[in-house]
Amino acid sequence: MFKLLREVVRGRGETVRYPFAPLEVNPDFRGRPEHKAEDCIACAACTIACPANALRMETDVEAGTRVWSISYGRCIFCGRCEEVCPTHAITLTPDFELAVLDKKDLVRTATFALAPCVSCGTPFAPRKEIDYVIALTEKAASAPELPELMDSRRRLIATCPACKRTQEAIKIGSFEKPGARGR
Amino acid sequence: MNEIPFSTSLQKLKNELSRNIRRSAYVYRVDCGGCNGCEIEIFAAISPVFDAERFGIKIVASPRHADILLCTGAMTRAMRVPALRAYEAAPDPKIVISYGACGCTGGIFHDLYCVWGGTDKILPVDVYIPGCPPTPAATIYGFAVALGLLGQKLQRHDHEEQADEFVAVAHPTIPHDLRINVEREARRMAGYREGYAIAQKFFGLLGAAEAGSVEERVERFASSENDPRVTEVMRRLGDVFTGRPDVSS
Repeated sequence: MFKLLREVVRGRGETVRYPFAPLEVNPDFRGRPEHKAEDCIACAACTIACPANALRMETDVEAGTRVWSISYGRCIFCGRCEEVCPTHAITLTPDFELAVLDKKDLVRTATFALAPCVSCGTPFAPRKEIDYVIALTEKAASAPELPELMDSRRRLIATCPACKRTQEAIKIGSFEKPGARGR
Repeated sequence: MNEIPFSTSLQKLKNELSRNIRRSAYVYRVDCGGCNGCEIEIFAAISPVFDAERFGIKIVASPRHADILLCTGAMTRAMRVPALRAYEAAPDPKIVISYGACGCTGGIFHDLYCVWGGTDKILPVDVYIPGCPPTPAATIYGFAVALGLLGQKLQRHDHEEQADEFVAVAHPTIPHDLRINVEREARRMAGYREGYAIAQKFFGLLGAAEAGSVEERVERFASSENDPRVTEVMRRLGDVFTGRPDVSS
């Protein structure tokens, strides 16, 4: 018994002070993913990358909304969403204190508005995503483009795929048939 | 899942339970079909480094001695009946804790052929501890929440898009393809997380108030940087930005 007391007194205090003191973790610790909805363009890259289907994207064309949601209950904290996000809107924080009494507290959602196609008017893509793509196209233009060209590019980005196909088909149909001039 | 309705006397006993067992909680582990990652983290929480036993949390060998049932792993079809038997064996009132992503929702195995889902498909759950696996510190925090010692931090949050929300392209003053090349090279050399941080540091150097060429700025940064790996990546990013070919590999 005295041997035990001697060991207790001689002990170096290996136990961490948590929860009486904050636990120091590595800055790269893979904790809870934090989503900044202001920086999100609702492109669903994170939803496609998530291996556990913790991230969901529900598009409602009639209501014109796209709802992003994450379930921390299904998340495996792998970091793939952070890896693929084009605007760095979702990042893994060092937060690990995630226990809850009610399962609905494990869910976070963000609602985004869909923009209508400039041709047919059906909502097809998030407004923020279209605005971001237009801003990227303007930024990436290598030379100052003609305003009409940039305008037609902006219209094309804001057109839904079905209307783009129809417009391409009309454009191809209006070409002169080969050999027509010769005859 | 809908709560299984308890009788009022049982509900009263459950409410008193956390007060009664606050300093001495007997825990029985029910592994419903997990990968054992959660088991290893529970054992780490019992180990002297995190020492859950100083709070009176003791792992017991029989469900008949248990106050708390710690259910780990997804609820598989093989463990449905044994988990129910353990639940029936534990005397009322008891607390059921769903441990890990698989326990909470089925986790990454939620759509597997043999998995019912989370623990709450079969048993009524009181506390959910998410994580894959939850770290020992998260385990101790989860027990503190279950025993009423600490309040939960996570709350449900729903964001509605405001009409003026707009995401601007980052670094508008840097030519687009140059910025992409720098970020790609940083990602290739240092991984997605560190590479992004180092690339942002590099762009910060470019925007700094002091004058000087790119090489001068990078060398000035290198003189005050301790980590030689960061210095090497920054020098390479400077080369990419000024168009020098890669002669290192």
